[in-house]
Order: sequence, then structure tokens, then C-alpha cells
Amino acid sequence: MEKPSPDKFWTWFNPVGRETGGWAFILNRVTALGLTFYLYLHLVILSQLATGPQAYDQFVALMRNPISISAEVLVVAAGIMHGLNGIRIVLTTFGFGVTRQKQLFYGLMALALVIILFFTVRMFTA
Amino acid sequence: MSEKWNITLKVSRQKEGETPHFDEYKMEVDPDEYVLDAVERVWAFMDRTVCFRHACHHSTCGACGMRVNNVEKLTCITSIRDMCQDGGTLKVEPLRNFPVISDLAVDMGSLYNRLEAVGARSVLPVPEAEIEKPASTWDPADQQYIRLADCIECGLCISACPSAATSSGYLGPAVLAGAQANGLKRNPELLQLVDAEDGVWRCHSAFECSAVCPSLVDPARRIMNLRTQVFTERFSRLFHKA
Amino acid sequence: MSKPHAIIVGAGFTGTATAHDLALRGFDVTVIERGDICNGTSGRTHGLLHCGGRYAVKDQESAIECIDENIILRKIVPGVIEPNGGLFIALNESDLAYRDAFIAGCQACHIPLEELTPAQALRLEPNINPKLLTAFLVPDGTFDPLRLALSFAATAKKNGAKFRTYSEVKSLILDGQGGVVGVNVLERASNQTHELRGDILVNATGAWAGEIAEMAGASVPVKPSPGVMVAYDQRFVERAINRLNTPGDGDIVLPQRRMVVVGTTSFEIDDLDYVPVLEEHVKLMLERGAELIPGIRNARVRGKYMATRPLISSGSGRSAARTFKCYDHKETHNVDGLVTITGGKATTLRAMAEGTADVVCRKLGINAPCTTKDVLLLSYRQYYSLPN
Repeated sequence: MEKPSPDKFWTWFNPVGRETGGWAFILNRVTALGLTFYLYLHLVILSQLATGPQAYDQFVALMRNPISISAEVLVVAAGIMHGLNGIRIVLTTFGFGVTRQKQLFYGLMALALVIILFFTVRMFTA
Repeated sequence: MSEKWNITLKVSRQKEGETPHFDEYKMEVDPDEYVLDAVERVWAFMDRTVCFRHACHHSTCGACGMRVNNVEKLTCITSIRDMCQDGGTLKVEPLRNFPVISDLAVDMGSLYNRLEAVGARSVLPVPEAEIEKPASTWDPADQQYIRLADCIECGLCISACPSAATSSGYLGPAVLAGAQANGLKRNPELLQLVDAEDGVWRCHSAFECSAVCPSLVDPARRIMNLRTQVFTERFSRLFHKA
Repeated sequence: MSKPHAIIVGAGFTGTATAHDLALRGFDVTVIERGDICNGTSGRTHGLLHCGGRYAVKDQESAIECIDENIILRKIVPGVIEPNGGLFIALNESDLAYRDAFIAGCQACHIPLEELTPAQALRLEPNINPKLLTAFLVPDGTFDPLRLALSFAATAKKNGAKFRTYSEVKSLILDGQGGVVGVNVLERASNQTHELRGDILVNATGAWAGEIAEMAGASVPVKPSPGVMVAYDQRFVERAINRLNTPGDGDIVLPQRRMVVVGTTSFEIDDLDYVPVLEEHVKLMLERGAELIPGIRNARVRGKYMATRPLISSGSGRSAARTFKCYDHKETHNVDGLVTITGGKATTLRAMAEGTADVVCRKLGINAPCTTKDVLLLSYRQYYSLPN
């Protein structure tokens, strides 16, 4: 625990002793990493789909099973949480809700939960 | 007769060239004593080799910041009762993001240098001292009084900040708060320093600085306000080319 | 000829101020401190920049020192002082009876004084006891203890002084004829011991002065006398509020940042290294403080602490003089190379340093006048940025 250094990035994810703002920070980092990983996965899969119609059909069939849908729900959830968290940061940066940042975070995450539930139901029933 | 607790004080130890480890001291304390009192008693009666920084013992000097049970605390005003229970353990570590001199003592030179660089005022007119009182409510009768600033330069915010952990160049919460209190309008030359990668934009809104600040400086709020000041200053410069 | 080397033990108020003074007079200065700057009595000072009014009746020598030094410190180290003045207020007949002696004393010590009606005083300080009978406006102030010492240390460093903190004196190096020629120092950060030799050793350890003097076979008549202080979490006043009476327990309330601090008491102890904060003294501070500022009763305690004054034991407790003394141990115990400075109080730190440096210069046959009255001190923050 000495001088600051980039190789201590893992401390970003340490929730011990953190308060609301810290959890928001951790959530934002985790969802950002998840979304980045998804983006790579997405590009890799897209490039493989280009091999022909058969590959495409196979992949669409694979994506219909519940495990795949659950994974997709996770991606959607991460996107929504990250996006709404970003709105919190933009608002506070412009001086809105700085003294109420905890409530702002909880409010936005409640909203995120509602949206995520909506998408979950839609995705599993569609 | 006052209440007595038996606790274990777990102190982070590190001498030059050593890797840190913990030493444990079992002791009887009054739960309403402060954590710093317990550390000082370890030095006085149990182990003369323990090094720690302290001076005023009433939250005006900012020397005794430490991590107590993983949270940054000003140990001179943190009662033992607030941090553990009878029979419990009190873990005391040096602040993070500063070089350790020895045991619990850290070198806060970087913080002091940066505070100096942004011209953070150590004394200022009373109405300007408190963040919860906006300029529009200042009483002109109070302007004649000068007082020491709220920021006691204890470094707790730097230790708690996740951005400060990974960027050694980041000015850090207390410093940006000092720049905000100074004001870009009054000190336009500060713009270059704070409107930079390691200035206001390195903050990633974890608000941990304000959570641990023992002195109600609310650095996070001041950083956000400084961002607004930066916008305003940049915007007005578009129209008033020097 | 190389510069004379002065070793100063203790980096409290006297140590840092003496380092500054000697550095200006052309000395090589090394300060040895077992903790960090101001970790003993100095750091825990009440923080009152005395105008001298407190001592104007019974101890006029101290009172004059205070007002002179008060004016100098305001000028040379403004960055650590709340210069808002103070009030002496009378709350009962006994206080009123002290009035005439107080006025005469302040006049004798050229302490500027303005008597206010209770209404005028309440207009200045709405939170003081509304039942006050009279009030005097005086040029008191408040300072930040650590930063006051750091300002002196920073300036000393700029002029070449070295500060070795977390370094403890284990023993003195003697020349075989009873003279002191250096110290054996334990560096606590590395657990290594080494020798440091100098032309003069200045013992600036305040309440601990007897311990260092004893290592050389000398002694100092210092009587450690702790006092308890309590900080409350509301800034009720802008000025220091003093009780208009002979100095007693809990008769000063100081503003400091967002707090007020009530002090102090006076008792005697055996073990200097840890002095407990006595609960009955804390209660007394509340009682006495609330007489001056009733709102304290509803405020939250922010900190309870104590500091050990280094009184010169000519009297006992509060009757002891609050002036300082510099001992040349060649004269007291035929020990050469050792000078002890103790007594005094924070407000007079610069004068204490001047007195000590005068003695040191005289001993070493150096003719260099004191210039610290006119040297503006550097920002305390520079202590950390200047190379050591």
C-alpha cells in the first residue's frame, strides 16, 4: 500500500470500506469491462457468420436456448446500468444533484432494475 | 468508574526495506477513548518502535490520518466505540497512495506540494470558508473575520480515492477542492493545471473523498463545481480572445 | 572556517524556532526529533495567540513578552493565524472586582484595550453569555499549532537546516571532561544507530528537558504540568473569549476552524509519555466553558485531549511564572556544550529562540544579531517540498 501506480488497478474493484459512490464506481468499472468483452465477442462472431447462410442459421438456433438468452439479458443489464450510471456522472458534473448523489444513484438503479425486468420478460417470451 | 473493553490492536508495521506485516497488541481501553490514544499507548507502554504521525489531537492539524478497519479515519476524533466491540480487533494501517516512512507514518509531501501549486488558501475570510453557504448568503459583517480553512490537509481523501490509487500524477480531491475555493475567476492561471488529464477530469465520481472527509470540505462537490468553473472559463474565453 | 554545527533536540515550537534563528545566524543546524514535527506538547497547544492580558496582573514579564510576540507573529506568519481579537468578559462580582487591576496591568504592559458595554459585546459575539457585566476587546488570536511550527521549520530548511524526524537521542557523546560533543541517534524508520557530532547541543525538549539534561549529568528545574482541553463541533465565536479574572481552569474558549476549544486545567503527573485525559476535567471544561458560551451545552464533543506544559518550577501550577528560561549547563553543572531552553509558551516561541540563539552565540564567541523579527516565514507547506 504505497505510492499510486497503474498496476494497482485491482484496487478499483475492492468493495471493502466503500460507500455508495464507491459502489457506483465499481459497478461502472465492472459493467464497462463486461461490455468491452461483449463488443469483442460480437465482432468475432460477426466475422464468423460471414462464412455462409448455414453458419448463420446454426448461430441463430444456438441463441434461442435459455442460457444464451440469459447471457444476452446480462449484456442488456450491463448496458442499462452503465448508461444510467453515466447519466448520474453527467448530471453531477454539471452540478445537478451533487448533494443528493446517493439518492440519485439509488433512483437510477431502481429505474435500471425496472427496465432490465421489462427486457428480461420480453426476451424470454418473444 | 468508566467502562472498560479488552481489544486487540492490530498495527501495520514496516521498517525501511521490509515488507509490511501486522503486530498485535492486546490492551484494555475505555471505549470512548480515541483510536489515536490507543496507538499512543502502544508506543508509550508496549512497543517503543511504533512510528506514527500526530500533533494536535483535536482535528485541526490533519497529521493522524490512518486506515482503521479499512476505512480512512482521523484517529484523534474517532472513538474506539465507533470502530469495534468489546473483545474485538482494531486494525490500523497507514494511509494509501502515499509512501510509507515507517509503520503508520506516511510522507504527505506530494499533497502539500500540490496544495501549494494551486495556491490553496490556509486562511480565508469567514464567509468563504464553508461550502454549504453560497456566496449569495454571505453576511458582509462577517467579511472582516479571517479563519483557518476547513481543509486540514490530512490526506484521507487521497487515500480513499480509487483514481488516486492508479495515477500518481492526479492532483487529488483536497487539491482540486483548494483550487475550487480559490476560484478560477480569481486565479485564471489555474485553468491549465485543473483542466487537464490529471486535473478535474481524472475524477470518476466515486465520491469516496467526501465520504471520508473529517472536516466537511466535501471535495467531490467542490470538484464538480470546479468543472462548472472550467466550462464557464473556457466558454467565456471563446468570446474574449486574449 | 567552516560553519559551527548546532544540534537541536526536539522539533516542537522552541526547536523549530531555534533552528530558524540559528540558521539565519549562519549555523549548520540539525534538528533531531523522535516523532514527527510537533508530536508532543507543542502540537496539542490550546492555540491561543496571547495578547498578554491573561498575565497582565500577576506576571507582567510574560504579559509583555506575549503582546510583543503577538504583534511580530501576526506579521511574519499570517498564514496560520486567525487574527480576530479576543474578549475578556466579566460574569459576576468577583470578575468585576478584577476589572481595575486588569486595566492597570494591561496599561503597564502596553496591551491595547477597549472596554465594551454588554450590548456592544453581544453585537460582536451574539453567542457569549448574555448576562455579562462588562467586556474588554483585546488583540488575541488563534493559531494552528502544527502549521506554526512547520512555518519556522520550512524557513529554517530553506536556510540549510536539516530535520531528522523519527530519530531518537539514545545517549550523549561526552568528551571525557564532562562536556557534550554530540549525540547517538536511533533512526526509528530503519532501526539504525549512528553518531552525530556538533559544536553545541540545544536541548529543546520542553517538558522532557530533564531527561536529556540527565544524560549529561545536569538537571533542569522543569515541572511538567498537563492540562485538559475539549473541542466542540460548532464555531460559536470569532474571537477568543477569556474570563476576566485571575487565570483558572476552563476560562478560555477559542474558535478554531469549525470548532471552539475550551481549556484548560492544570495537574501533576509522573509518566510524561502518556497522560490520560481525566473525565472529571472534561466535565469541568463543559461547566466552565458553558458559563462563557451557554450554547456549548448543546454542542457535540469533537475531541478531548491534553498537553503537558513545561513550567519552570519556581512556584507550583498556575502560580509558576509562564516566562521561559535558557540554561547554559556550563554555568549550572559545569557541563559544556549543552544548552537547555524550556518554559514559556507557544506565543513566545520566537523570543525563546532568540534568547537561546543569543546564549549559543555567546558561548561560541560568534557575533551575529537576531533577525527573526523581520523575516517573513515561508508557507508551512514548503517544509515538505524543500530538500532535507
